[in-house]
Amino acid sequence: MEPLTTEMILVMAMIGVAVFLFVVEWVRVDVVAILMMVALPLLHLVSPKEAFVGFSSNAVISIIAVIIIGAGLDKTGIINKLVAPIMRLAGGSASRVVVFISLTVALISSFMQNIGAAALFLPAIQRISKSVKIPISRLLMPVGFSAILGGTVTLVGCSPLILLNDLLAPFHLEPFGLFDVTPIGLALVATGIACFIVLGRFILPQKPAETADDESLPEIPAALKEMGDMYELHTPADFTDYRDPVRVDDLRRRYLVNTVALTEPPDYKLISPPPETEIRSDIDIVVRGRLSDVKRMAQKEGMELKDRLQFFQNDVTAENAGTVEAVVAPRSALEGKTLNQVNLQDRFRVTPLAIYRQGQTYRAEIGDLKLSVGDAILIYGKWSRLKVLQQERSLLFTTPIDVETLRPEKALLAGLWLLTALTMIMIFHIQLSVSLMTGALGMVITRVLSIDEAYQSVDWRTIFLLAGLIPLGIATQNTGTAAWIAHAVLKTIGTVSPVVLLTVIGILSTIFTLVISNVGATVLLVPLVVNMAMAAHADPRMAALVVGLATSNSFLLPTHQVNALYMGPGGYRSIDFMRAGLVISALFIVVMIGMIYLIYGI
Amino acid sequence: MAVITISRGSYSRGKEVAEQVAVRLGYACISREVLLDASKRFNIPEVKLIRAIHDAPGVLDRFGHDRRVYIACIRSALIQRIRRDNVVYHGLAGHFLLEGVSHVLKVRIISDMDSRIRAEAAREHINLEKARALLLKDDQERRKWAQALYGKDPWDSSLYDLVIKIQKLGVEDAVDFICQAAAKRQFCATGASQQRLDDLHLACRVKTAIVEIDANAGVTSEYGNVLVYTQAGERTVRRLRKRIQSLSTEYSDINNLEIRTGPVPSGAV
Repeated sequence: MEPLTTEMILVMAMIGVAVFLFVVEWVRVDVVAILMMVALPLLHLVSPKEAFVGFSSNAVISIIAVIIIGAGLDKTGIINKLVAPIMRLAGGSASRVVVFISLTVALISSFMQNIGAAALFLPAIQRISKSVKIPISRLLMPVGFSAILGGTVTLVGCSPLILLNDLLAPFHLEPFGLFDVTPIGLALVATGIACFIVLGRFILPQKPAETADDESLPEIPAALKEMGDMYELHTPADFTDYRDPVRVDDLRRRYLVNTVALTEPPDYKLISPPPETEIRSDIDIVVRGRLSDVKRMAQKEGMELKDRLQFFQNDVTAENAGTVEAVVAPRSALEGKTLNQVNLQDRFRVTPLAIYRQGQTYRAEIGDLKLSVGDAILIYGKWSRLKVLQQERSLLFTTPIDVETLRPEKALLAGLWLLTALTMIMIFHIQLSVSLMTGALGMVITRVLSIDEAYQSVDWRTIFLLAGLIPLGIATQNTGTAAWIAHAVLKTIGTVSPVVLLTVIGILSTIFTLVISNVGATVLLVPLVVNMAMAAHADPRMAALVVGLATSNSFLLPTHQVNALYMGPGGYRSIDFMRAGLVISALFIVVMIGMIYLIYGI
Repeated sequence: MAVITISRGSYSRGKEVAEQVAVRLGYACISREVLLDASKRFNIPEVKLIRAIHDAPGVLDRFGHDRRVYIACIRSALIQRIRRDNVVYHGLAGHFLLEGVSHVLKVRIISDMDSRIRAEAAREHINLEKARALLLKDDQERRKWAQALYGKDPWDSSLYDLVIKIQKLGVEDAVDFICQAAAKRQFCATGASQQRLDDLHLACRVKTAIVEIDANAGVTSEYGNVLVYTQAGERTVRRLRKRIQSLSTEYSDINNLEIRTGPVPSGAV
């Protein structure tokens, strides 16, 4: 065994610093990664070129491409269609949503790259979180872990298992079949999902939907809640008999209830109707207001208040329409005018709901208030209409228009480019990053999404986190630190029973995969453990298998690609991964060893 | 049914007309009762209320706020009374105080100047010249009062639905006309006009509650959504805010209460 060098000590110290900073979070995890990227070449532990090699790595480029492909699919509404049957099966139950999505992702992940499955499903999970109001932090981690675990179901599920047979060849050991690992992988997936269902409330961060989701949803002003919710009502058949006409504006003035949609007989749906629109008999209307006001209106005007949105269920929800906060800009044409003069409802078909001025919310007769610079107006409307208003530039939108206009007509093209990328990977065996980037480029060229949208869809925290940790792995291997640790550990334990030896190998692989890449850990450990197993009269194939599987046991830190990808959108902190990861990692080793014992009888 | 306000010039026999109309229609006839109500409810001497509603504001008074406080109280008391409907009010300023309520029949009874002078001279035992001077002064006071508070001239006939000159037409004729007009559909209370009255009542109550803080504040109410308009400074606005917060819980018929800074609209109480 090589002696311990200064470089090895430095590398171990850097790993210690990185893990310490991950835990205490004095700086964000991606900043820690950048710190490593800079510190390692300064300490001469890697060459300057190696320090930034992560940015050109196959894995990082593949992730960028997959995220773009995912965004393209999402923009065409394919993801919505894909999610719909899952949602129908799952209903509103968080547990069922977790089970169905996790199983789907694990299944896909067992045949393709984990990160690919995870990235493709990210937009879908965000949509589900919004629509069923489950905090995204409760969905993403179980699904992400399932994507990683799904990689252990077949021998092509993840890179370490793909490599395994090649690594066994020099030892003339019998190669593993495609589905040899399936029982173990399935047990691991089942354990992971069951663990989140049973222990989810203890190991998952408990955040309300808004705070956890602040990356993907616009900030909801606190006072927005004051504006109440959406309610659908039905006017009776004799609504207009023997009375003065009731108009949209009357409802607003009388009950402070904003009519955001109504039907024009027979069934034409009008979103954000103008104030002078008459409320007719036997129609459906959707109003935005406080429940008490809406109930008062329903009672006084003789309307029937429905218990949920029915007729307009798909028209006024976050998919198509929403509320934004828009501020009167300096030198805006609106300054000094009233909303009645500006007439947003007629010109843009949007509905102003309230005005904030100096900490006060104005709901009543807002049409007569003279606007001044800095007034914030809450406006409801279709996203497409709000975009037109935004482009007029007299109002500054403080809430981004979060739901982009879908392009269902591009769905076929998007699907075609995904298929092209998959064909390149599976049939022509072209490198992953090249194939996926071809798909992403194809989507941009065929205008499934614009290049700006493609750039915006990439979460740069993920990219820097992954690219920054790659030189740490390189340093650990180049300086011989990894080999030294492995030797030291295996030497320390000496001769033990095969079960203990495999457990130790499992734990060692788990620790290695947290710092160096799973492929690196596999390449390093497999030859080592095969020799060790032979010496200890254990089955060397099983020792290699344990390495191949346990390098997927990467849950404790957000260093695995999938965890890094989900960290930002899920609003997770390192401590969240440690809490849930500790449980899952421990169970992983127990289940893995248990299953190997049961199936192969070590 | 209707609410009838009878504005009467001096010596126009308007009181007689009002009383006979009330008897014929079976309505309640009120005048001074309103002042007594206000006096009792807000603990203000009646004489001050009379002065507030009768005399034109003096130079100093124009800047003081007592008059506005008293008028807010009188208005509140009047609306409280006429909400019961079927009322003939022949007190002061009814047509101003009930502005905007569609089922109020506004009547003005006048008399020609010569007969008024003769009546005044006979009552006060003074010569005709003096009586004329007194009457002109009194009329002028009323004009100034209405101008100061409402920017309107009570002699403007367009303020009324019916103006009857008692000379060739007698009290009986006037009563006939009024009763006939009161029976018209236009003067029947509707849901909307009743709502307007309720809103006016609420606005008056809010106004009396805040008038001590800002006498110049204007209050409007529409279906219980109350807006308080003020042009006062930041400190007063803060005090107003504090006061109206407690009002929302005091008055159950308030649906929403907001303060607006800026000019007081014409329809505000």
